[in-house]
Amino acid sequence: MILTLASVSLRGLLNRRRTLLLGLFGALVVLVAVLFQLADQPEDEALAFTGQLLGNFGLAVLLPLVAVIVGTAAIGSELDDGTIIYLLAKPIPRGLVAVVKFVVAWVIVVLLVCPPILVAGIVATGGDPDLGVAYAVAAGFGALEYTAVFLALSLVTSRALVVGLAYVVIWEGAVAGLFEGTRILSVRQHALAIADAIGGEGAIEAALEVGPALVVGVIVTVVAVVLAIRRLERVELRGETG
Amino acid sequence: MSQLTLGAVSRWYGNVVAVNDVTFEVGPGITGLLGPNGAGKTTLLHMMAGFLAPSAGDVKLDGTPTWRHPELYRRIGFVPEREAVHSFLTGRQFVEASARLQGMDDARAAADRAIDMVDLQSAAARAIGGYSKGMRQRVKVAASLVHDPGTLILDEPFNGMDPRQRLHMMDLLRRMATEGRTILFSSHILEEVERLSDRVLVVVAGRLAASGDFRRIRRLMTDRPHRFTIRSSDDRALARELLATPSVEGVDLRDGLLSVNAGDYGELTRAVAPAAQRANVSILELRPADESLESVFSYLVRR
Repeated sequence: MILTLASVSLRGLLNRRRTLLLGLFGALVVLVAVLFQLADQPEDEALAFTGQLLGNFGLAVLLPLVAVIVGTAAIGSELDDGTIIYLLAKPIPRGLVAVVKFVVAWVIVVLLVCPPILVAGIVATGGDPDLGVAYAVAAGFGALEYTAVFLALSLVTSRALVVGLAYVVIWEGAVAGLFEGTRILSVRQHALAIADAIGGEGAIEAALEVGPALVVGVIVTVVAVVLAIRRLERVELRGETG
Repeated sequence: MSQLTLGAVSRWYGNVVAVNDVTFEVGPGITGLLGPNGAGKTTLLHMMAGFLAPSAGDVKLDGTPTWRHPELYRRIGFVPEREAVHSFLTGRQFVEASARLQGMDDARAAADRAIDMVDLQSAAARAIGGYSKGMRQRVKVAASLVHDPGTLILDEPFNGMDPRQRLHMMDLLRRMATEGRTILFSSHILEEVERLSDRVLVVVAGRLAASGDFRRIRRLMTDRPHRFTIRSSDDRALARELLATPSVEGVDLRDGLLSVNAGDYGELTRAVAPAAQRANVSILELRPADESLESVFSYLVRR
């Protein structure tokens, strides 16, 4: 039952052209790493560049962009076109539907974001996997938070994609950079703290300690998923006509 | 044997009242829900299928409220009006997924049976995205009855079907009804309901305007005058002649069109041709002006 729900959801998301285009975005990160490697840089410079590439492009642009598109579509696209009715007209608690959708969306975000980060890390450093692994793991954790937040957002507003993009640009991009106190609530800062803790030399120095980052990250994820469950349980399907 | 019960149900969206204090019961057999577009049929059906909460009153299946009781879907099959189906699945995958989501062990066999029932075997291996309207309707019906539910709720199931498919679907629903199922379907087409259901519910502007045996409702409506419009080579001459016919109660010559009110449908249709002959007029067109469902409804509501 759960497997069927997951496979229908997975196929629905993978079938969207948007999702596939996001694969190209990941390839872009790898391409930049390849070009850098061809330029033949000294080793310490290579480590610093890799940290910047994975942190400022991978975690700051690729991850939220993929997560906002996949996360808001996981339930949102089916709500928009009405096909959600075929999943909800089954003897399955709606909360379970929301959780399965969340897991499926997270897996897709991880698949689209983590491999390119890992590969780009290995290529840019000329074969050293440490930074790539650190940032890939950090991205996987950040994906958990972002996906949960955007899934919940899609059940709160019908303009989830626009609101989600605005949140990424304004909160994650600008506010959390300007005001130190807000960083504890920034997904990007949580991910950077994890990368810093695992990554060692070359990683961007994070503003947060890894402990609080993990705790707050888990709380954000759980709160967002619970909100998504509660919203889906109350969703009413009106049909097109009165 | 399943029983759907609506007790003093109202539903409003903001300031708009979509369903207003409706009470009825639907039991085994076929019941048609008839009403013009926008009358509240879909709102009623969605409440019965547990997708909308009533703003007041209660909607129950065998005593259990349908809203927020997903376990009831083991006993309910629902066919929504909206055409969209997961278009990337093939017909078979869609029906089989429905069976699995119902928790059936023999999902494959159940899907085969359901696809057979709606006569869709030849297209079952194709993606739904390439289906015609009628095929989509049938695959939706197959998915809704794959788990053999005791109650079937269908919103405009005949939309987009050609006459042959329509007959086939009517046969299928009749067969399922004789097996003791409770079947409720909506339509804005009088003729579909007349041919299929023992019992009708007529909704107009959110209210239940009439319910019961269809033929009785029709008979009740025969006391209203029948209205025809005629185009002919000389409307005035024909009107003069028609006024001499006993069944004609009045004629009207406005807007370049001859309208005739008659007390008896049959008598007038028999009288028109001889009258035209006597007046030496050719008839170009003769059509009933108020056979549309809307006029029947407005008549019912005025009563």
